[in-house]
Amino acid sequence: MEKVGAVMIVGAGIGGSQAALDLADSGYKVYLIESTTSIGGVMAQLDKTFPTNDCAMCIVSPKLVETGRHQNIDLSINCRILDVSGEAGNFTIKVLKKTLYINPDICTGCGVCGRECPVEAIDLFNEGLAKYAATSVKYPQAVPLVYAINRDYCVGCGICLAVCKAKAVEYEREDEEVDINVGAIILAPGFDEYIPKAANLYGYGKYKNVVTSIEFERILSASGPYAGRVLRPSDGDIPEKVAFLQCIGSRDYSGNGQPYCSSVCCMYTAKEAVIAHEHMHQIKPTIFSMDIRAYGKDFDKYIIRAQEEYGVQYIRSRISSIKEVPETKDLRIRYETEDGKVMEEDFHMVVLAVGLNPPNDAKYLAEKFGVELNEFGFAKTDKFNPVQTSKPGIYACGAFSSPKDIPDTVTQASAAAGCVNQLLYEKRGTLITEKTLPPEIFVNGQPPRIGVFICHCGINIGGFVDVPEVTRYAGTLPNVVLTDRNLYTCSADTQTIIKDKIKEYHLNRVIVASCTPRTHEPLFQETIREAGLNRYLFQMANIRDQCSWVHMNEPEKATEKAKDLVRMAVNKAREIEPIERIRLPVTPKALVVGGGISGMVAALNFASQEYETFLVEKQEELGGFARNIYHTLEGGNVQELLADLINKVKSNKSIHTYTDAEIENIDGYIGNFKTSIIHGKNKERVEFDHGVVIVATGAKEYQPKEYLFGQNENVILQSEFEKMINSTDKLKNKKSIVMIQCVGSRNEEHPYCSKMCCAEAIKNALLTKEKNPDLEITVLFRDIRTYGFKEKYYRKAREAGVIFLRYDEDNPPKIVSEDSILKVEVSTPRKEIININSDLLVLSAGIYSDREENEELAKMLKVPLNDDNFFLEAHVKLRPVDFATEGVFVAGLAHCPKTIEDSISQANAAVSRACTILSKEEIEAEGKTAMIIPERCIGCGMCIENCAYNAIELIDDRRFGRIAQINQALCKGCGACSGNCRCAAIDVLGFTGEQVFAMITGRC
Amino acid sequence: MSFEPKILGFLCNWCSYAGADLAGVSRIQYPPNMRVIRVMCSGRVDPKFIIQALELGLDGVFVMGCHPGDCHYLDGNYEAEKKFEMTKKFLSLAGLEDRIRLDWVSASEGKRYSEVVTKFVNDIKELGPSPLNGEEPDEELLENVRAIKAAVSSERMRALVGRERKITEEENVYGEKFPEEKFNELMDLAIKEEYERHRILLALEKYSKSVKDLAKELDIDPSLVLEHMLVLKSRSQVDFGEIIGNTPVFIRL
Amino acid sequence: MTTQTKQEESLNDEWEPKILAFLCNWCSYAGADLAGVSRIQYPPTIRVVRVPCSGRVSPYFIIKSLMDGWDGVVVSGCHPGDCHYLTGNLVARRRFAILKELLEFFGIEPGRVNFMWASAAEGERFANLIKKATKIVKKLGPNKKFEKKW
Repeated sequence: MEKVGAVMIVGAGIGGSQAALDLADSGYKVYLIESTTSIGGVMAQLDKTFPTNDCAMCIVSPKLVETGRHQNIDLSINCRILDVSGEAGNFTIKVLKKTLYINPDICTGCGVCGRECPVEAIDLFNEGLAKYAATSVKYPQAVPLVYAINRDYCVGCGICLAVCKAKAVEYEREDEEVDINVGAIILAPGFDEYIPKAANLYGYGKYKNVVTSIEFERILSASGPYAGRVLRPSDGDIPEKVAFLQCIGSRDYSGNGQPYCSSVCCMYTAKEAVIAHEHMHQIKPTIFSMDIRAYGKDFDKYIIRAQEEYGVQYIRSRISSIKEVPETKDLRIRYETEDGKVMEEDFHMVVLAVGLNPPNDAKYLAEKFGVELNEFGFAKTDKFNPVQTSKPGIYACGAFSSPKDIPDTVTQASAAAGCVNQLLYEKRGTLITEKTLPPEIFVNGQPPRIGVFICHCGINIGGFVDVPEVTRYAGTLPNVVLTDRNLYTCSADTQTIIKDKIKEYHLNRVIVASCTPRTHEPLFQETIREAGLNRYLFQMANIRDQCSWVHMNEPEKATEKAKDLVRMAVNKAREIEPIERIRLPVTPKALVVGGGISGMVAALNFASQEYETFLVEKQEELGGFARNIYHTLEGGNVQELLADLINKVKSNKSIHTYTDAEIENIDGYIGNFKTSIIHGKNKERVEFDHGVVIVATGAKEYQPKEYLFGQNENVILQSEFEKMINSTDKLKNKKSIVMIQCVGSRNEEHPYCSKMCCAEAIKNALLTKEKNPDLEITVLFRDIRTYGFKEKYYRKAREAGVIFLRYDEDNPPKIVSEDSILKVEVSTPRKEIININSDLLVLSAGIYSDREENEELAKMLKVPLNDDNFFLEAHVKLRPVDFATEGVFVAGLAHCPKTIEDSISQANAAVSRACTILSKEEIEAEGKTAMIIPERCIGCGMCIENCAYNAIELIDDRRFGRIAQINQALCKGCGACSGNCRCAAIDVLGFTGEQVFAMITGRC
Repeated sequence: MSFEPKILGFLCNWCSYAGADLAGVSRIQYPPNMRVIRVMCSGRVDPKFIIQALELGLDGVFVMGCHPGDCHYLDGNYEAEKKFEMTKKFLSLAGLEDRIRLDWVSASEGKRYSEVVTKFVNDIKELGPSPLNGEEPDEELLENVRAIKAAVSSERMRALVGRERKITEEENVYGEKFPEEKFNELMDLAIKEEYERHRILLALEKYSKSVKDLAKELDIDPSLVLEHMLVLKSRSQVDFGEIIGNTPVFIRL
Repeated sequence: MTTQTKQEESLNDEWEPKILAFLCNWCSYAGADLAGVSRIQYPPTIRVVRVPCSGRVSPYFIIKSLMDGWDGVVVSGCHPGDCHYLTGNLVARRRFAILKELLEFFGIEPGRVNFMWASAAEGERFANLIKKATKIVKKLGPNKKFEKKW
């Protein structure tokens, strides 16, 4: 069957949206199918995100708007999958588009219907904490902003039809079935949270002040029901003492919950505790947990800050039951402290950190798509490639395959897109639509002829602002040659009117006074471009969201304000000029720095898409860190994988491998890099051009100074121990082995978790027990961080008789060597001293990154390192494999400690992100960039310090001497340089000083 | 002197008013307690009229229209009936439901007119004077009646009662008949909610108060008060005020 | 404990200041939009200039606004750490810390120029900040330092 250059993505949360954007930007047609009525998933419900406390809505909504508007993304909401046929490369999916009873093409999202609806239903987005109309939108910033009628609540009174000025309500609208033909499928349906009702252990649903973590998230949210005030549902008071209970429905073997660890709860709980305290300082959070699983990048620091700066108290205990105090509605918690005391304490509110379950329709989806589920009901994926499902051509990303956080989800989304690239690259560009536009009308030097279109927005503006008066006023302003007012300026017929008027009146500037440019500017810009005007000859005055809606009780003043806003827009319009978007050619070749697993996977992915790739490895052999690893905890054979990868890399003609190599210099920018390296014994120098860079330089194993390592031959590292088990029989005469965790991790020198050591220790312990069941193994740990399904093996190890003993950071085990015996003294949290005689001490050494080595590369690429010397990505949550410097990406251990599977995901993700560049012959840079006024520049270099994108450098100009120069390919147009320039030598196109002054001035 | 109630009557022009006239022409005697307001149709009787009359201290309100099927305006009296039912449900929340009555009197029923009026006057006499009447009216009850007055005039209640017949007796916008029991459930809930919400709004008129204050004052469960607050806030009728100790207060906008 | 307090008397509404607000596109402008979508009412005193980032707001813009007769200026960006352009708001913060002192030195009352943060999810916070700024500027009275040009 012939392959199809289109992809279906099922689920439009953050994962689905990311995959859709990657693929649509790489030349594929994307069908994005969502079951609810708007995209954004759970992330849109969150208040803040860990570990940066970023506002979730702020960072996610630009991405959602982009997804909703992308011309190669066909977004369908309220859908259900009916049937799937075909095979990798060519699938046909029957999709049921359930009716919204509102025409999404006409609905403007103004919300009048929802306000007038007499039936109150529960608002699910706010987790049932608030009420909403039967006609509703999920949340105010929803994409697409289309209202839907919920037939479960609707009584059919017809009021919405009567109040809808846009005439978008269509009760007779029917469900629609469509067949969609695609080459690959990505499943991203997310998860459903565990609802503790069934067990009713914690009084959820019975006691008003017991809420789940996702409900608490809405309570925290500034756009939530309580507008960001933390109140308890029983009486609206601020709860001073809030208890957070971890592992609700996770790590639960009782049958009520799930046996695995939900991976994210420890961190989101810490975040919720911190944010609660930040919102209301009187709140004192207490977190009850078994282990604190802060295994990700910068997570441990966050936990420490939560305790030290925000006074969050951690108690290591699992609570089994809660009782309500009837008079106060407080909650009485009984718990046992680590030293064995039974305590009873009252809290004002309890938050249950509920786990992540497979999505409720996982079975249905699995059956339809013919993919297998694992023992826990999540999508079963390949041992080494966590986005590959059991069926070729179908990929999974995000929480559908295992519980995971946002950056891991985003990484996997890009990784899935990376795998789709491998499958469909030949069909790239076959199904996307490119608009043919008329040539631009030359307007330079002409006097401004401004057309002003003022929108009534049904009654949304017209009901409060005197639109005819504003229109009359606009007509009196200089250079305004046309004014018009429309019921809905955004409607399709008005676009035609605007185009006609541009021609009729020879308009060369267009102003629309209506809603917000954040959602509607691109639409109008497209319209005037279709009429032959440069899209930057457009201005918008926001007289709805920031005027009529917020001054509903003062119509006269609102009208005054609307007039001012229109005048300001006209003043600016007079100053605006066409802006050319710069086009840059792209060299379709890639540089991959580092020949470990990540680097090789990335190189092979590029090569399979026929992109010439340069793979540069410092050492003499390929393989990196993985050369010391034999198996993964889950049983994957690493050495086999490695041999296979090396073989494929070496035999691939598109990959040029340089070992024993050193990078001499990297120059250039996105799409146009030039690199020189020196490699081999003869120190040969090679130079090549490439369009992108992937940094996969890996990390190193810590060489301990502690616990007699290096002084006693019976003290070894986990990696040496693994070798011992796998290739020698030295285990036979051993009787007792002690393992110590967190050696060189989570301390002052390396204040982060190395993520892999717990799994390593358990893997080796299990293997040892298998070979020699009588051997006594004791693991001394601080927290066991077997997140996700790895929890299963932790339990297995305990069942196999491995002893786990916790020690405190302040009180590490003491080792005394006597003859051939190592005496280990541990003091447990119960304040008991335990002595273990062992004949082998295995240290779980952490992973570290070398500052000097990384700094050299970081400087060449102009990318940053974090405090722990790992490479720092562009955005911790949403751009986990990108750098702020465009065209440069990161994968594997260079980013932070992670597993092999995660490294492979990241490598594929980095390739997918890179393909959004390499797949184009030329890239278009944003036109609204900064520009230097050379005659004013004194070359002080201040702007270079202020630029977060390394877009400015100093050059020696023939006429002006030493001046700053802006690389327009890299500039994002933020204007930080301009605002700080002491000589006013930098201006920002689209927001020039002249334009802003024109707006400031009160005159016409 | 025995208690002589003051009763207000709303009589439709075409049937009941004519019936009253007929009683006069026929010189049929009945108690003089009712003062009549002529309306063109019983459907014109806004629930607000009835509540306002009670608020002002009248002891009873009588609404009369044409017999079902006889309405001069085809179905005005059916509409009147729905509105009356809603009003009665509201008043039952304040214990005043027996002070209002709806009946049908045709133009030819002069005798019947005098009978129903006499009966109503006697019933009201038995009930005694309105607690809202006199020098010292029951302030708490008065507040509740004011809340009812605001609630019956709210857009939500008007929308529901206005469409009730259409969607439960004919068909709704989807061409279906909406089950009457389900609608009644919905209506009862809406009545309870709007009554409580308007009591809250009135209670906030002079002073800002916390959820707990309101719960105690109005004897509503505090968690329910909080839920109402969120709805009122989304309608821009209340807002969060300052926080005193650990308790935020709400202000009326 | 009683929590009843007397309703605050509404601000006297004889004179309304005119305040120019520079809002960053990604957070504060979006927050202002959210206030609109949520129909949160605030005084109609501000006129908004959308800028890509609070980092774009040159001190000259602010001085020019005051010279042009605006009674107050508000600059609002993303919360520190949330900047769409990574560090633009931090650059702005440093710049405005200095500018604030400079303006005071010139004899411009503190409070006429207000710097603040509001995120895209903080519609209510935005409205409250505008209420607060309006109150402050109202108290200061009209901007008479410069000749009014309109």
